[in-house]
Amino acid sequence: MSAPGTVRRTGTGFGRVLVAAYGILALAASARAGVQLLRDWHEAPLAYALSALAAAVYVVATVALARGGPTARRVAWAAVGFELVGVLAVGTLSLVDPEAFPRATVWSGFGSGYGYVPLVLPFVGLWWLWRTRPDPSLTPTPEDAA
Amino acid sequence: MVLALVLVVVAACVALAAWAVVFVVQDRAVVLRQVWGGAVVEGLLLVQGVVLGVLGATGTAPSDPVLLWGYLVTALVILPVAALWAFAERTRWSSVVLAVAALTVAFLEWRLWQIWNS
Repeated sequence: MSAPGTVRRTGTGFGRVLVAAYGILALAASARAGVQLLRDWHEAPLAYALSALAAAVYVVATVALARGGPTARRVAWAAVGFELVGVLAVGTLSLVDPEAFPRATVWSGFGSGYGYVPLVLPFVGLWWLWRTRPDPSLTPTPEDAA
Repeated sequence: MVLALVLVVVAACVALAAWAVVFVVQDRAVVLRQVWGGAVVEGLLLVQGVVLGVLGATGTAPSDPVLLWGYLVTALVILPVAALWAFAERTRWSSVVLAVAALTVAFLEWRLWQIWNS
């Protein structure tokens, strides 16, 4: 816990591990999407477009969590929330209707191809954003906007 | 040749991760000597790249070279970036970052071995 009167940052302490985990996932998803888009685009355009979108959102979440200013915090809420919806929706669909997602994405089977990290990380991310939320009793400082 | 290199890289990664975990337990931040340990892993990965390149050029390439090189390049990127990110933090959490990064590279190596043999 930070001392009263200080700005609680999202990218330090435990947040540094969270950002590293998001960064690794962003890298893994981007590399995979890159290979899929360059080589196998015709096989499953929807699944591969989704792969690329997921990768892009992981990159946004990583950068937003690392920066952690007021705007970045809002972007992080949106990006991490989007991932949670994405992994739950695609994870469910890929089990209920495998035909819809004939090729693997980072979210298929609730992220089973990535050790379920894509399923766990959004919950941890939302918890961390909530835990480090700015204290409403504090007025924003210029440092906050940096 | 490829298997021996994969085993050496995985062993180096696991050793680096174990070193980082000891630091987590002792509540210490990453030190410069661990970064040198990471540089050793990077050197091994570069050797692996050369070996895979030579084997590919002499006709023993795997069925999926794009995927193979994708994994190798990804593995190469992780430790330098993780080291920079970890070093900015002077708490035990930096050691957690190093451990996670080293284990990720070990996992990528295992996948690389699977792809090579597919």
